[in-house]
Amino acid sequence: MDAPSASELQANPAVRAAFEAAWADSLADDPVKRHEEGGYIYGNPDTAEIVIRRAAPGERRKINLSHPPLVPGYFLIATYHTHPNPLSLGWDPEPSEDDRYHANDSGIPWFVISELGVHVVGPERRAGGLSGNPGYPF
Amino acid sequence: MTSTAPPYVVSRQQAIAIAEADAVPVYGDLDGLTLEVSLADDGWHVDYWVREKRVAGGGPHYVIDARTGAIVSKKYYQ
Repeated sequence: MDAPSASELQANPAVRAAFEAAWADSLADDPVKRHEEGGYIYGNPDTAEIVIRRAAPGERRKINLSHPPLVPGYFLIATYHTHPNPLSLGWDPEPSEDDRYHANDSGIPWFVISELGVHVVGPERRAGGLSGNPGYPF
Repeated sequence: MTSTAPPYVVSRQQAIAIAEADAVPVYGDLDGLTLEVSLADDGWHVDYWVREKRVAGGGPHYVIDARTGAIVSKKYYQ
């Protein structure tokens, strides 16, 4: 069974709410406290339900997405994280080359939320469908 | 007698120092980033990469003029 595509996930209200919550929690307007936030998106092959789990808060320029918690009956289908540092100070809000590399290496789409909106890098959907390792497919 | 100008006057270490002087006030520190430096036709390429598996993030990337030490271009990835 195929996993939902990145565009299907982006249209999901729960996913969009998670993006908005992560962005708000990133404190992008606070020059001292701004930091990356993010998490994991899971899909259930039987019910097509989507559940979301937050990762621990990141730092100014990175967040660790290497330990998705297992959710029984669900498969990891995407990650998301914020880029809160502003274009006005010279930061690039778009996905970094590292983001692109790690997304392609992980086998699932990675969403990046910034002041410019939502970008997605990596595959269009989870490689191998909703089967195999419930965490990252690779 | 003729003399040949050296191909560049900014050393690798000087290029790194120029990049760090710009990057540290922005990033706070460059801890945990992997440094790669190469000399190309357009200058020194000083690139800091996140090499931790499945850690989302980014580092600064520079092109520094090898004759003047001026920063030709820079990107602050996150």
